[in-house]
Amino acid sequence: MAEKWIYWLRELGTEHNDIVGKKCANLGELTKAGFHVPPGFALSVKAYDRFMKETEVTDRLLQFLKTFKADANNVADTMKFEEASQEMRKIVESIRMPADMEETVKNHYSELCKAAGRENVFVATRSAGPVSHPGQYETYLNVCGSDDVVRNVIRVWSSTFNTRSVIARARLGLPLNYDPIGVAVLTMVDAKAAGVMFTVNPVNGDESKVAIEASFGFGEAVVSGNVTPDRYLVDKITYEIDEKVISDKGAEFAYNPATKEMEYKELPPEKRKLACLEEREITELTKIAKKVESHFGCPQDIEYSISGSMAFPESIFLVQARPESVWGKKKKESVLGKKTGWQLLFEKATTPVKLKTS
Amino acid sequence: MANTSAARFPDPHDFKAPKELEGWEEMYPPQRLFSQDRAEWEKRHFWYQDKIHAPEPLYPLDDIFQEAWQIALSGYTTRVFCIPPAQGITQRIVGCYMYIAPVEPPPPEVIQEKAELFGKRVPYVFQNYSKLWEEWLKVFKKVGEEMEAIKVPQDLGKYVPDDQVMPIPRGYTDAHQLIESFNTIVNLIFRAWQYHFQYLNLAYLAYLMFVDTARKLFPGIKESTIGKMVAGADVSMFRPEEELCRLSRLAMGQRPVQEILKKSIPAADKLKELEKTDAGRIWLEELERVKNPWFYVSCGSGWYHYEGSWMTKMDVPFSYLKSYIERLEKGDKIERSLTEISEERDRIVEEYRKLIKSDDDRKSFDDAYNTVRTIYVFAEDHLFWVEHWLHTIWFQKIDEFGKVLTKYNVLAKPEEIYLFNRFEVPMLIEDLATAWALGEGTQTRGKYWQEKAAKRKKILEAASKWNPIPALGVPPTEISEPFTIMLWGVTTDTVGEWLKGADVDTKDLNELKGFASSAGIAEGPARVLNMLEDIVKLQPGEILIAKCTNPSWAPVFTNIKGAVTDIGGLTSHAAIVSREYGLPAVTGTGVATSVIKTGDIIRLDGSTGVVTIVKRANA
Repeated sequence: MAEKWIYWLRELGTEHNDIVGKKCANLGELTKAGFHVPPGFALSVKAYDRFMKETEVTDRLLQFLKTFKADANNVADTMKFEEASQEMRKIVESIRMPADMEETVKNHYSELCKAAGRENVFVATRSAGPVSHPGQYETYLNVCGSDDVVRNVIRVWSSTFNTRSVIARARLGLPLNYDPIGVAVLTMVDAKAAGVMFTVNPVNGDESKVAIEASFGFGEAVVSGNVTPDRYLVDKITYEIDEKVISDKGAEFAYNPATKEMEYKELPPEKRKLACLEEREITELTKIAKKVESHFGCPQDIEYSISGSMAFPESIFLVQARPESVWGKKKKESVLGKKTGWQLLFEKATTPVKLKTS
Repeated sequence: MANTSAARFPDPHDFKAPKELEGWEEMYPPQRLFSQDRAEWEKRHFWYQDKIHAPEPLYPLDDIFQEAWQIALSGYTTRVFCIPPAQGITQRIVGCYMYIAPVEPPPPEVIQEKAELFGKRVPYVFQNYSKLWEEWLKVFKKVGEEMEAIKVPQDLGKYVPDDQVMPIPRGYTDAHQLIESFNTIVNLIFRAWQYHFQYLNLAYLAYLMFVDTARKLFPGIKESTIGKMVAGADVSMFRPEEELCRLSRLAMGQRPVQEILKKSIPAADKLKELEKTDAGRIWLEELERVKNPWFYVSCGSGWYHYEGSWMTKMDVPFSYLKSYIERLEKGDKIERSLTEISEERDRIVEEYRKLIKSDDDRKSFDDAYNTVRTIYVFAEDHLFWVEHWLHTIWFQKIDEFGKVLTKYNVLAKPEEIYLFNRFEVPMLIEDLATAWALGEGTQTRGKYWQEKAAKRKKILEAASKWNPIPALGVPPTEISEPFTIMLWGVTTDTVGEWLKGADVDTKDLNELKGFASSAGIAEGPARVLNMLEDIVKLQPGEILIAKCTNPSWAPVFTNIKGAVTDIGGLTSHAAIVSREYGLPAVTGTGVATSVIKTGDIIRLDGSTGVVTIVKRANA
């Protein structure tokens, strides 16, 4: 029996980080811990490896690379990398998966469809590197039908040959023809709103707050920074909304059935400045954020999606959770020092309050 | 040196009150006015209107509380507990309104001396607070009892009665008793105000220390959350309302009592009807038993004689009783749950505490919290005993002086006594006593006093129409005085607001900003209460708009959606009660009662301190 290369999310945990990539491992961990995560499965780095080695992909890539000469540290050569990337992606995407793999992926997909009670459920195929390279590889949304799922898994693999990944490997002197990653295939949430939350105030590191950003439609709009999201700062203990900024959100990232593509769609003027989250959703998100943080034991950066067709609170899904990268790493040093109440009182009594009055 | 190019308010020595107020100065003692002889010192200070204690023009006799707190508050800071860089708060009256200034810091060597005394004296208080509080309450109740026992003879008699002459001569007449009694009551009120500040400065200081500590750990923590952490559930100020709840439950099931209390007739008639039935008389006995002290509650802040108390305006507690009984009949719960309040407080503290990462910090936080909790209850407890209980007794007694002066035509109406300051009232009394002693056919200067009273009344009316300037002089660059920061909320922002606020036409405002005193959002029709008597008009679900809400209004809070006030900071008497009831409140908006009209649909956000007029009633 060959080595296992495909997993249901519920089979995974953070310990599978190197096998399926961070994103899949974390989603698995969340699923196992009982959080509401869209159903899905993951292809491990082994799947990538098999595809590369059991088909003629590697040979053809190596063949092509024989004649490729460019200096990754020379900006003038960027175009050369760009052309090479296009060529290599063309090669990768033109080759079929080994038959048994294709069948297994399709079987998994049809399980997802069965669970969702629909014939052809929409899924997202997301890249998951063992080391986090946010935004380096690609993700494809609203993939539908088993052939399309297989095709898009290959497209995610092929994104390891996008220009910046190739340049990055060239700079590090790594082989250009091989960079194994995991792939997550997740049921799409028909998001009416989505966004990101931090379990710490990203501005000052205050861990008693959850900062929530949200925009209409799919979360990519917020993650990519393409729209200005609504922002909320919520107290973890009192659940009071301390700050609330409703922005002009301009456009939403949504599926266009006509083109079958995800597109930015201009919001009608009356909707642009509406709050995209309800108060109860804000409270629920805050509660979820607290639980995720306590599960992982450090401040988290969480992506969520709110389904437009499901009833609250089942409508809220987590699609990503990872350690918050700025405050989470700071060593917690004492801010007060070891002081008695009396010392603090004495300090207060002897320190005048400054007023800025000029 | 003050920066002369900086934003500033007019020099108090150049500033003139409007001419309709002409003659206002003579109502107040000279030491309470700005003067050329102290000009240099006065110019160095920043004077802002004290809207907490004197939001309305000051009647000369009501000014006595202000004088008393100036001495007491300042003395405790400078000479008793010796808060090192802080000095007292000084007062001046301008156009019948009171302006106050934190006194500039003392010389460095004095700060040094004070630090030593502070270090010696203050820890003792914190270590022994619970014992000290028991002692305090005993002593304070004695002051009130002494005040209540003061004799104010209402009839001087044509001749002294026999029993004052023989067999054991009393030795002095009732006319003399009047003179002496007034001196006694003045002494007692000043002493009571000394006790008022016995632990208050330290309670405020501890609170500010805890705010600092919490802010260092949680930069974004709301002051309203800190308020919840330190608030006591079982404090004297809530007892009057608890007694009303108890009396309401007592009435339930006693048919006649329940029905009579529900009637829409004056309280006086209800009392008469209750007298007529057995059940009614039993209920009345219980009422009598709790009246002192728990009905000695001002209908306002306790600072103005015309506010009245539950004792003089029985309609107020009786309207609460009516609404409680109606709610009990519907099966509602009327009492605050003390356990819920304290459990919620403990949960908040514990959860924040858990977020603290360093062991040292957690220990310091615990210690800071225990320190503030030890003493903060004084800030809540003293309020009932001084401003409510004792002031109610004071006003009852002063009314009696007013009555006797009126009976002998020194005054035209009893309440005219409040138009004379505490140094002048003895003149009126002496005038009466002298005329009585001189014998038949002698005259007092009643006509002179009454004309003076009439003129002063006019000045005060004009003053209440004047919108006084928020501040005078140059804003300071730093403040050490704990009350200035905590009670009056003087911060960089407030000074800035005052500076620009002076020229805004309030009628055009659709959004007001105040302190986020109690979290939550409420939207609904506004009810502007200018006088507490308007309380009967209040409909369930309305948002209360008042100059200042007051703990004595507590029962109202079970019926409204939220509260907005003109005056008061986060720990003002108003904010405390709103938090206790879990009602959204915005305090210290400055202008809510003049901008918002009854019936306007407003939205208030007690977490951000913003009040929005959604729809005008007549728009």
